[in-house]
Amino acid sequence: MQIRTRRLFRDIWKARYVYMLLSFGLAYFIVFHYVPMSGIVLAFKKYNARLGIWGSDWTGLDHFRRIFITPGAVAAIKNTFEINLTRLLFQFPMPILLALLINEMRGTRIKRIYQTIFTFPHFLSWVVVSTILMNFLANSGMVNAVIVSIGGKKYNFLSDERLFRPLLYITQNWKEMGWSSIIYIAAISSIDLSLYEAATVDGAGRFKQALYVTLPGIKATIITLFILQVGRVMNSGFEQIFYMQNPAVKSVSDILDTYIYSITFDAVPNYGFSTAVGLFKSVINLVMLIGANAIIKKFNGSGMFN
Amino acid sequence: MSTFRKNLKYVEKRRKWTTGQIVVALSLTMIALIIFFPFYNAVVISFETNRAYTLNPVSLYPTELSLANYEYLIENGNILSGYKNTIFITFIGTVLSMSASVMMAYAFSRKNYPGKKFLFLSVMFTMLFSGGMIPTYLQFKNLGLIDSRWSVILYVGISTYNIIILKSGFEQTPIELEEAAKIDGANDLIIFVRIELPLQSALLATFTLFTAVAYWNEWFWSMLLINSASKMTLQTALRAIVSEASAAADVSSGEAGFDVFTQGVKMAAVMMTMLPIMCFYPFLQKYFVKGVLVGSVKM
Repeated sequence: MQIRTRRLFRDIWKARYVYMLLSFGLAYFIVFHYVPMSGIVLAFKKYNARLGIWGSDWTGLDHFRRIFITPGAVAAIKNTFEINLTRLLFQFPMPILLALLINEMRGTRIKRIYQTIFTFPHFLSWVVVSTILMNFLANSGMVNAVIVSIGGKKYNFLSDERLFRPLLYITQNWKEMGWSSIIYIAAISSIDLSLYEAATVDGAGRFKQALYVTLPGIKATIITLFILQVGRVMNSGFEQIFYMQNPAVKSVSDILDTYIYSITFDAVPNYGFSTAVGLFKSVINLVMLIGANAIIKKFNGSGMFN
Repeated sequence: MSTFRKNLKYVEKRRKWTTGQIVVALSLTMIALIIFFPFYNAVVISFETNRAYTLNPVSLYPTELSLANYEYLIENGNILSGYKNTIFITFIGTVLSMSASVMMAYAFSRKNYPGKKFLFLSVMFTMLFSGGMIPTYLQFKNLGLIDSRWSVILYVGISTYNIIILKSGFEQTPIELEEAAKIDGANDLIIFVRIELPLQSALLATFTLFTAVAYWNEWFWSMLLINSASKMTLQTALRAIVSEASAAADVSSGEAGFDVFTQGVKMAAVMMTMLPIMCFYPFLQKYFVKGVLVGSVKM
């Protein structure tokens, strides 16, 4: 026993510089992540600013019961899931398609220029991107100006309930499609060239080769990214929706994050309830991510962190 | 291999374009135009005057080239102080965040020492679960960081993702190098500074860029944490201009004598916010791409 403790201390002493290097970052994670995590007790309390987080009275699960009878919260939960699942359908395949197209493109230099254009919007904030795109689509914007000039009538694209969600998918792709395609392009470039030669011998054209060689060749990447995306179902693009939302389309676009924001900065904020909604979201998110990681691990042999 | 590639290129040049290739080229050109054109349109509008735009909104160049929007912006908005604040936050933030991530990543790449697994998982857990908006905000308030530029630096903070990638980078250093250094009497710190950091400099450059972009683009939390106009970041200043401009346009539409071109001012603000990224991006693109590839290998 004594020998074991002595060995432990010796190991710790031996790694003293390693702990020194860790200390700075660990302090950061404790102060800015773990202390706020302990703040989730607010979800079980009636927050009183004077008494602080720890002094406020307990309310048990009242806030959580309230989530399911508050129409705004229920709608936000429904929208979060709906928007994300449709994102998987309309948003997820686009970078794959783009990667296939880029792979078929001839001319190295022009390809590089195109890729610079495709990936550039990824590096802009949603404030910038939404301002540019909303200006483009607004009543006084370019699209409507063209419609008028060819004899049509102005149309308010941004406040149409039916158009808003498709607009979310389109603008998200506009910003991220090029960047997301890089992973697929890399996966394509690692496919064994002899497979293509064999396919050519068998008489397959470029299209058939893309369908029967390229796509199966990047299947593992596609599945991994798909599972990851399903794992992120609770994070449905807060900033994008936050900037593009307007009162006319609130009913189809209010997600949990925007809902939490709006009730927190309400005329009568209820910090306890806001925290409870946030915790509800975080817990589902945690379960989904751990599940996604487990599936990927089973499938690939290694997960996201190990 | 290289001669093979050269031959391939030669053959490619000689070959005629097939219908499929033309379709591919056209679709890609379409996509490129769809992405490029709204930017271009924003540039045009930012140099346009109100009168010219009302007369002829469908224009591929500013019909009355003017700098009025930019002048108005610099005189009225917080863009210039926003630049100052954002540069401060981006610079200090990137230096601090990268130093801390690199130190942690290196420490986590070391072989077994007591508590390693527990500490690593504790850090990774923050990627999966967080206290949420209110507890986080209250913590900044308790620390007296509200309305301080340091709050944004600390909020963006250390990225767990960077730690994962840098850690796997450090793990690839040949063990012989370290052993040789150890025989020469080097401790972990000396190995870190003299061997690991120079070896991983390309990876470090890439992730320094990513971190800088993250700081430059942070908006939501800088809006929550900073209240006074003089400390506003560039993104907050832009957002303020956009919402003010929209409000002003609602109030004064049709009012005589109102000659501020709100749309033009908005686009000028957008241009100024993205100018640095726009200037540097084409030259730095390959580093960014390298970064995402390193990440995907890990995944």
